[in-house]
Amino acid sequence: MAVGLDSGKKIGGVVLGLEGITLSFGGVQALQDVSFDVREHEVRAIIGPNGAGKSSMLNVMNGFYQPQQGVIRFRGREHCWMRPHAAAAMGIARTFQNIALFKGMTVLDNIMVGRNLKMRCNFLLQALRLGPAMREEIEHRRAAEEIIDFLEIQHIRRTPVGRLPYGLQKRVELARALAMEPAVLLLDEPMAGMNLEEKQDMCRFVLEVNDHYGTTVVLIEHDMGVVMDISDRVVVLDYGRKISDGTPDEVRSDQAVIDAYLGVAH
Amino acid sequence: MSERSLDTFPRLLLQHAAVRPEHPAIREKDLGIWQSWTWSQVAVEVRALAGGLAELGFRRGDSLAIIGDNRPRLYWAMTAAQILGGIPVPMYQDAVAQELEYVLQDAGIRFAIAEDQEQVDKLIECRERSPGLEHIFYDDPRGLRHYSQAFLRSIDAVQELGRGRSAKQPDFIDSEIEQGKAGDVAIMLYTSGTTGKPKGVCITHSALINAARGGCGFDRLTADDEILSYLPMAWVGDNLFSYAQSLLAGFTVNCPESGETVMTDMREIGPTYYFAPPRVFENLLTQVMIRIEDAGAIKRGMFHYFMGVARRCGAEILAGKRVAAGERLLYALGNVLVYGPLRNVLGMSRVRVAYTAGAAIGPDLFRFYRSIGINLKQLYGSTETCAYVCLQKDGQIKLDTVGIPAPGVEVRIADSGEVLVKSAAMFKEYYKRPDATAETIDAEGYFHTGDAGFFDQDGQLKIIDRAKDVGKMANGALYAPNYIENKLKFFPHIREAVAFGHGRGMVCAFVNIDIGAVGNWAERRNIPYSGYTDLAQKPEVYALVRECVEKANAELALDPALCDSQVHRFLILHKELDPDDDELTRTRKVRRGFIAEKYGVLVDALYSGKTSQFIETQVKFEDGRSGKVSADLRIEDAKTYPPATARKAA
Amino acid sequence: MMHLLYSIFVDPFVQMGAAPDLLVQTLWDGLVSGVLYALIALGFVLIFKASGVFNFAQGIMVVFAALTLVGLAEHGVPAYVALALTIVVMLVLAVGVERLILRPLVDQPEIILFMATFGLTYFLIGLGELIFGGDPKVMIAGQLGLPSGSYRITMAGGYVQLQKIDIAAAIIASLMVAGLGILFNRTRIGRALRAVADSHRAALSVGISLEQIWVIVWFAAGVVALATGIMWGARSDVSFALETIALKALPVLILGGFTSIPGAIVGGLLVSVRQKVGEFYWGSLVGGGIESWFAYVIALVFLLFRPQGLFGERIIERL
Repeated sequence: MAVGLDSGKKIGGVVLGLEGITLSFGGVQALQDVSFDVREHEVRAIIGPNGAGKSSMLNVMNGFYQPQQGVIRFRGREHCWMRPHAAAAMGIARTFQNIALFKGMTVLDNIMVGRNLKMRCNFLLQALRLGPAMREEIEHRRAAEEIIDFLEIQHIRRTPVGRLPYGLQKRVELARALAMEPAVLLLDEPMAGMNLEEKQDMCRFVLEVNDHYGTTVVLIEHDMGVVMDISDRVVVLDYGRKISDGTPDEVRSDQAVIDAYLGVAH
Repeated sequence: MSERSLDTFPRLLLQHAAVRPEHPAIREKDLGIWQSWTWSQVAVEVRALAGGLAELGFRRGDSLAIIGDNRPRLYWAMTAAQILGGIPVPMYQDAVAQELEYVLQDAGIRFAIAEDQEQVDKLIECRERSPGLEHIFYDDPRGLRHYSQAFLRSIDAVQELGRGRSAKQPDFIDSEIEQGKAGDVAIMLYTSGTTGKPKGVCITHSALINAARGGCGFDRLTADDEILSYLPMAWVGDNLFSYAQSLLAGFTVNCPESGETVMTDMREIGPTYYFAPPRVFENLLTQVMIRIEDAGAIKRGMFHYFMGVARRCGAEILAGKRVAAGERLLYALGNVLVYGPLRNVLGMSRVRVAYTAGAAIGPDLFRFYRSIGINLKQLYGSTETCAYVCLQKDGQIKLDTVGIPAPGVEVRIADSGEVLVKSAAMFKEYYKRPDATAETIDAEGYFHTGDAGFFDQDGQLKIIDRAKDVGKMANGALYAPNYIENKLKFFPHIREAVAFGHGRGMVCAFVNIDIGAVGNWAERRNIPYSGYTDLAQKPEVYALVRECVEKANAELALDPALCDSQVHRFLILHKELDPDDDELTRTRKVRRGFIAEKYGVLVDALYSGKTSQFIETQVKFEDGRSGKVSADLRIEDAKTYPPATARKAA
Repeated sequence: MMHLLYSIFVDPFVQMGAAPDLLVQTLWDGLVSGVLYALIALGFVLIFKASGVFNFAQGIMVVFAALTLVGLAEHGVPAYVALALTIVVMLVLAVGVERLILRPLVDQPEIILFMATFGLTYFLIGLGELIFGGDPKVMIAGQLGLPSGSYRITMAGGYVQLQKIDIAAAIIASLMVAGLGILFNRTRIGRALRAVADSHRAALSVGISLEQIWVIVWFAAGVVALATGIMWGARSDVSFALETIALKALPVLILGGFTSIPGAIVGGLLVSVRQKVGEFYWGSLVGGGIESWFAYVIALVFLLFRPQGLFGERIIERL
């Protein structure tokens, strides 16, 4: 069993398993027979050169793409494919490489939408602002405020997201995903396009989320350095196939990985 | 309790807990909601904290380092230390580990209270080299769960110890308070110092309470006032306004949620008593102007029209002077349509007394706030004088003075032009530096402020520069660099300026543009730029700055004593001057000598008549790494005016 | 020339002053048909907000709903049961549209979806004619408990006639608008709807089911169409000619903004009042018939100066 970077972290059993995932778009093979698993509380990275199929893999996990072959095992149940809103309801949250936020809404509203699935009150109660609905709203608002505090975005809570700079939008997207209290958090290139300082902040937040909430994190990253620093285990894809899987040290010294990154001919 | 026995801060706290137990003493915004503590609750919290400190071995005369943003518990820690006869030493929250370490060693500090993980990390780093630091306490536990060091405790844990102790020894705290004396040192503040190592300024209870009492009386502050505490706790002003005056008058202190939310928090709280250095007022105005420029034509037109009205008569109306009825009517209309909403946006709707100090404030800026009905005044003071020397009296406001000597303060001007001060609100000594103390307090008990100034015909003090900075130009003319720099900095497009001229034939200057204001200006003109360095070297920006410099020259030419100080040549620096690079002090004063040395090649280029100069500079980033910035800097000439024609040009 | 200026700038106002009862009557007529325009526009706005689709079929949905109601009644179904059944039919229609049109066309360009609503329009026309025939029918207003007759209010030298059915229309329309407003602003369905309107991808990722939201908005639009059909049908006949009123809602949408519910209301009232007043007082200048095109002129002017409409969201985009 892999040992976390932080002394206090306990990595558990497999929470998400992918077996023999094959995905193609009209003859173009995006993923070929890829298998790996994600353990509870770990930070699992998927890396690989451009076009290796990393984003496709993430899209399979949360149901944006439906693989032609393979099995997705999530918390003990088998699925041939996921459907996005069902995946969310089961506890898979995600962020996007090129940010998908509700741009016209404020930061707080974005986070509150992330709480939507958790709301139980009948819409009639909500419409009439009856007791239980109000109590529920307050409870969710509190949860949202805790996330705002956690990600240090108090100063923008009432700002429409569309007006925020890129780095902060990324942070708001993470906040919205966290609002779902996910079991597994999928991050698609969380540090892409950020400057060094923003990258460091984001690294810190990812580690803190993992540590503080115990959230399992699956992340795609282009920047090898960042990945090696923060992940427990790394899976490497190249041209839609898995070429390596293991701890950062193992992966780093794997000849297949070195070749893929240096662009050795296939 | 009689006035006489209210001579230490712990006693003041007990008195408020007894007289106004339910009155809010302090508020903090947490998870988006304002939480408040009454005076009686604060007394309970402070007692527990003091008990815990004592339990851990904090003794009379010990110092307690305090580092973090303005937080209720950090303020309570100050009183807790004072109860035990100890000395709180607040430190700047953006200080790096080495700076902290110097203070920790100089003051022999064994106990430290930190706000959060960031500050704890710095203290732990210090502790590796200064093992004298025995205990570190923290307020916010976030990110500290896996820190298992035995010397690290949460404030909650310390208070728990304290409660345990008072269960065993119920009258311990009261007897400790009983032992406190007015002449004890209440607080130690390290001055940033433009030269040499920082010195610990020891201030007694009686000095700080005298300053607070004088100020509260002067501006009639009561328990019903509200203040927003957002300036560094290590700065003397925050100690006077948010701590001493609050404990004296019993008013409510509000701690903002974070540094970035101050504007919103201001609006929500609506303080009645407000303090900000000129740069904050300037930033606020810049933001307002940007929003106005982005607003629709009707709004914009209305704003400019009524600001015109306010410029003509606003300040006079505020000062209670006679104004024509028509103007008064227009002003009243403007108040409903523009000034009122504007004050609301600024969070200053309820402000009764606002002060600025620390640097000279631009006349336009000062007039702007006063003309929209905000009672902005200036004061003069320093750490050594508890920020209490001169204050402007309501109705006697002048742009270029700092007011009359405050009640109980004696001010004299030395032959050299230096301002000398004597009062009951003065520091006791520099910690372990009798030499430095003797240097600044003379035999007659006057403190040498190091500022040069004079009294005008109305008896108001006018400060022109640091005494040591005032120099002579090659032709013997008076040279006051600060005066020149301030003139330049008053332009919204110029953030910092550094003037050179002592012993030289002409004055030249470095300029930092204001990236916010100039960036916006550039965007509106479709001038693309990639960052500060790029923007700073645009010919359009040079033209913009040259216009400012020439306006300043025209004004300087009006003053016969200063007309030789006109800026002949200038350049725009390739990087922003930064305290992290030691170019500015923590209070953002330029370190002129250091800059002249660091950028010697640029100074030479200014005086050698070159039109450009290559420069490469090491910079430190916020995370402690360093890198290089380089650029080919343009140097330009500015028009200067002969004294006679200046009036026409201006 | 003088005469022309006179008849544009002076005469109409003289008339207004001389016969205030006529002015009030004209304004009232404008307001009443404005309410109906507003209801149609509301149907458009609902669907546009949630799916970004300009639903060309909104007009035919009005006809189809009204025909279903009347058709059922003609077959001896009691009025209120027919009303309930019609609501069920609208729900079935909404589910059908989601399953057969929206779901297969997900992620297609908006123009494809717009064309699909054309298809839906002709499908509904065909289906309606097949089942109910092409003849105009009479709305069962009386059986539904809607009042008939009118109030007559005498004033300054004349009287103003207020149809009771118009008053009922105004009340029902206001209630529907208020109900929808509350639904969209206070409930999690409303929050989800706004989320879907903003970004499909993001909404999916937080567990909002697009299918569910689409069914809800199409159903809501269907109910609004039914209400419109009843009101409009009660004033004239229920026939396929009603379909063209959808086109009249277009200037309302442009004026009010495609995404704003209050915009649809205010836009509807404004357009209609201006139309009526324009026709009555200035229409003779150009030989009458202003009513049919005046609204488009207003809309055109608006597009030039405020493309997002009166209440539409300003598009905030930062790159």
